[in-house]
Amino acid sequence: MTEAPVALLAELTYRCPLRCAYCSNPTNWRDYGDELDTDGWTRVLREAGELGVLHVHFSGGEPLLRDDLEALVRAARDAGLYTNLITSAWHLTHERLSALADAGLDHVQVSLQDSDAGRADRIAGTTVHAHKLEAARWVKPLGMALSVNAVLHQQNLPFVGEIIALAESLGAQRLELANTQWHGSALVHRDALLPDRETLASARSIALAERQRLRGKMDVIWVIPDWYEDSPKPCMDGWGRRSMTVIPDGTVLPCPGAHGLPGMVWDSVRSRPLGDIWRGGEDFQRYRGTDWMSPTCASCDRRELDFGGCRCQAFALTGDAARTDPACARSPDHHLVTSLRRERPVAAAEPDVALYRIDIRRGRRAS
Amino acid sequence: MSDDARRPVLARRARLRWDAPRSRHVVVVPEGVLALTEEGAEITALLDGQRSLRAVIDAVAGAHPEAPRGLVEADVREFVERLVERGYVTLETP
Repeated sequence: MTEAPVALLAELTYRCPLRCAYCSNPTNWRDYGDELDTDGWTRVLREAGELGVLHVHFSGGEPLLRDDLEALVRAARDAGLYTNLITSAWHLTHERLSALADAGLDHVQVSLQDSDAGRADRIAGTTVHAHKLEAARWVKPLGMALSVNAVLHQQNLPFVGEIIALAESLGAQRLELANTQWHGSALVHRDALLPDRETLASARSIALAERQRLRGKMDVIWVIPDWYEDSPKPCMDGWGRRSMTVIPDGTVLPCPGAHGLPGMVWDSVRSRPLGDIWRGGEDFQRYRGTDWMSPTCASCDRRELDFGGCRCQAFALTGDAARTDPACARSPDHHLVTSLRRERPVAAAEPDVALYRIDIRRGRRAS
Repeated sequence: MSDDARRPVLARRARLRWDAPRSRHVVVVPEGVLALTEEGAEITALLDGQRSLRAVIDAVAGAHPEAPRGLVEADVREFVERLVERGYVTLETP
């Protein structure tokens, strides 16, 4: 029998006033503009609760762009879910955050692009850093938990110590140091964002030392840069195993990147109940468990630890989503990753992401 | 003994609930769950900020007259301490 999922990632909209160079949303985000309405999301949340989901993560894009966010938080709480808002805090007011707390919001995760406003705003493509700090400080006094998330790349890795200190000064209970994953816009901007091994190694040792120092005060999570590891990341803890993603138009996916895989016919909550999709959706089954695995994975003692890694990355690099993630040292395609690594800092001046940034993210409520 | 007068309370960001598909009680926290034994769930339900730690121990011991009091007391203290360490329970001064 299929296990019940524990988490729902609810990507309410792909619209976003920020244009972070590392964004993992699909670059064709406009194709998903027919967003579920309040009733549609309310039904998704109710069905998720019935299915056994414990956590809902409201994300996007920028979920604050949904005027019905308060109603959706309430609906999630009515369904028994623990509610998390993943936000840039763009234009978030104290009044709105209070209303969200009143609606039952449990946890707020604010993104920081860097420790310094100039660098942070350059990566975000808009002026937002100073306001984030103000908004983050409102979270705990309103009775909610605060996490900070910082996506790491070549340009901010040298400042990881400052980023950690900033999150600590905000009183965050968790800090996710998430090394960039190479999907969506991040892949487009790879030349500007890809770290070199030396920069990564010093950032990592700072992060691990700080994690020790901050034990019991702030959980510091280091999300591995999988291109520089021997084992792949256990993507989503396994395909269709613990988590499901509903994207803005109501399509249900095993992970937020799966719509990039070819030849799949995904179900939508508009035409099929969530539980039915989870248990019986054809493409939900495709990479579930271990039966689909290549001989490399099927014979591996880590097959139920990392689940063959990331299907989307396997497809992006090899053209076949069923192959072992090339980030794995045991993959026959591992050279595809090792050949992309940078061993030392690039001698030339760093490419400016502002030159690379393409205007993919301007939403209806453009800033 | 003043510690025993303090009142343990489950933080707002940590929520006790029954997890039906997996037939267990859990404390749901940001980005995770703490799976509880039946005894753990019983203790957690008493962490309401009204009862002192002493009263929690008394209540658990009262519900399990068959168990040696010393054992119950040690179990409750250890359990509460672990939740305090992880920031999911605070000890309020009356």
